[in-house]
Amino acid sequence: MKKVIIELKNVSLSYDDEPDVPIVDNISLQIYENEFITLLGPSGCGKTTTLRIIAGFQKPTQGQVIIDGKIFNDIPPYARPINTVFQRYALFPHLNVLGNVKIGLKNRPTSYLIDFFGGRDKIEELIKQDKINKGVAEDKIKKASYFEINKKVNQLIDEAAYNALKLVKLDGFENRKIEQMSGGQQQRVAIARAIINRPKILLLDEPLAALDLKLRQNMQYELKEMQRALGITFIFVTHDQEEAMTMSDRIVVMNNGIIQQLGTPEDIYNEPVNGFVANFIGETNIMRGKYLYENHISFLGAEFDCLGYKFEDGEDVDVVIRPEDWDVVPLENAKLIGEVTSCIFKGVHYEICAMFGEQEIMIHAYETPKVGDKIGLKVDPYEIHLMKVAREEPVSDQEGQDNLE
Amino acid sequence: MNNKFGRLAKPYIIWLYIFAVAPAIVMSFLIFTDMEGLDLANLKMTLDNFSQLGEKSTLIAFKNSFLLSVITTAISIVLGYLVAYKLFRSNFKNKFLILVILILPMWSNILLRTEALANIMESNNIVTTFLNKIFNSNITFPQLRGTYFSVVFGLVVTYVPFMIMPIYNSLEKIDRSVEEAALDLGLTEMQKFWKVILPMSSKGIITGSIMVFLPSLSGFAIPKILGSGNIVMIGNVIEELFNNMNYNIGSLLAMIILVVILFSITIVNKVDKEGEMLL
Repeated sequence: MKKVIIELKNVSLSYDDEPDVPIVDNISLQIYENEFITLLGPSGCGKTTTLRIIAGFQKPTQGQVIIDGKIFNDIPPYARPINTVFQRYALFPHLNVLGNVKIGLKNRPTSYLIDFFGGRDKIEELIKQDKINKGVAEDKIKKASYFEINKKVNQLIDEAAYNALKLVKLDGFENRKIEQMSGGQQQRVAIARAIINRPKILLLDEPLAALDLKLRQNMQYELKEMQRALGITFIFVTHDQEEAMTMSDRIVVMNNGIIQQLGTPEDIYNEPVNGFVANFIGETNIMRGKYLYENHISFLGAEFDCLGYKFEDGEDVDVVIRPEDWDVVPLENAKLIGEVTSCIFKGVHYEICAMFGEQEIMIHAYETPKVGDKIGLKVDPYEIHLMKVAREEPVSDQEGQDNLE
Repeated sequence: MNNKFGRLAKPYIIWLYIFAVAPAIVMSFLIFTDMEGLDLANLKMTLDNFSQLGEKSTLIAFKNSFLLSVITTAISIVLGYLVAYKLFRSNFKNKFLILVILILPMWSNILLRTEALANIMESNNIVTTFLNKIFNSNITFPQLRGTYFSVVFGLVVTYVPFMIMPIYNSLEKIDRSVEEAALDLGLTEMQKFWKVILPMSSKGIITGSIMVFLPSLSGFAIPKILGSGNIVMIGNVIEELFNNMNYNIGSLLAMIILVVILFSITIVNKVDKEGEMLL
């Protein structure tokens, strides 16, 4: 059983001027220790607001934020075991790189820092060790003074800062000015500045959004590595489903302030619970079908086998098939035959659109049919995913304006 | 492109050469001469003018100017920062309107404003007259006109808007997320102000200080009216000298002030390279 580090219990938030329009609507969520969890959704879905509630920048109008078993609703940001990496880094331009990294620890009271670095005894031991190294006879060493402890703590802060910079591969940049750093480097400073405080939870608010593609991909792996090395919980916010897939242990798909689905990347990709999730996580085809009887389904005028779904016989269902799950086959073996309307080269594969009666289907394949050609399709039973028919019309675009409760 | 627009600036540049640069050159020349009025026929080259700098009256005027300007600047920083910070923090939608209201007094005549202030600072002023008429009493105010206090008060009232604007501009440039980052990293509200907000608005403070310091240093109307002869600043000495057609020594003092001004402006240029703080 994994330990729950942070829990949101029925958290809602709406602004004073629009109390009926919740930004975050009754969210409940458990996040485990050492987990990389991603809040994924289109802009305006409430993911950043959720993050801000966890960080303490916004108070929920309802519900509780529980960290390590304690309710944290009224505790200010600086007293939470949480640090944030902001979207536009929010570095302090008047300080250099080292100053930025150190600022968190430097402004803590000495008593906090003594505990932070392992308690008074340990620090006194370190001071003693230093003196022995300098050649002072052991029996002549006096008890460390307040001044000496302060000095040692400052030295430890410096060490911690150098280590944090090393971890983000910025050693040697300590005295650079912030404005002299590139976007990717500023990003790293922001991460170093957060992790030096040894938070239990690190919040990352679209930290890679401003980087170019290549750098972004590198940072994705590095962040994942860092999370493993540090052993702390990362809560990552993004609107990029690929990024979420690459990095996360679990993904929370959000829309309209509501959690749509929570699960591992595989679950969410393969078993979307509704049209919004299916559409948002990659390209997909959603068709109306009929559940005939056990493991038999009909759609687009043909009958298919399917696996592992239980509905009423004769019930209408939504059928989800990913574009890459179609098999393009010779016409005589095909279950479905349609007419190609477009064929676009996408690098690894071709994206083919074809009309099957009234329904347009998207197919990813290696074949290159011409526009107007007939195309034959088959699909394996385990590639067919079924969903309950949404009460309202399914969303067709990625922005997802419709409700899908 | 540049050339075409460059030509548009020509009239002003010519104006500048005729009425600013040329007089400055003439004044630099006058410093080293001695004559009655502008009588070029009896012109003598001399360095005697510099001995005037050792005169007690000049030294007092310089001392007054620097002291009162520094005090004025310091008070303006405190008052200006408080106003700018309050405005920056307020949720008021139309902050620009508030700024306009703050600047509004600057659009009325400075002499008129100063005279009005001088009247209030007399022991018998418009208010006491009014009160005494009504209550048939004999109230008097303390006589403030002619004291250091009155001059500093007048300077602060007149120039504090020049402090508010640059500070407010520099505060507005601070990203909301930078403040959140400070809190997130464990700084308390107080530490956040001293360690983050204040250093990040220092550009505005420096620019504003120069904007207040320079006119306070070189102005003569406010000390003349509010100081009523008791308090003489360098601007008053220069005015007096030019009125008495003593152009040589007047030029010398004026050039010294000009050097101080140019020096200050280079500081502003260093601090505020983009010139973003001046509105």
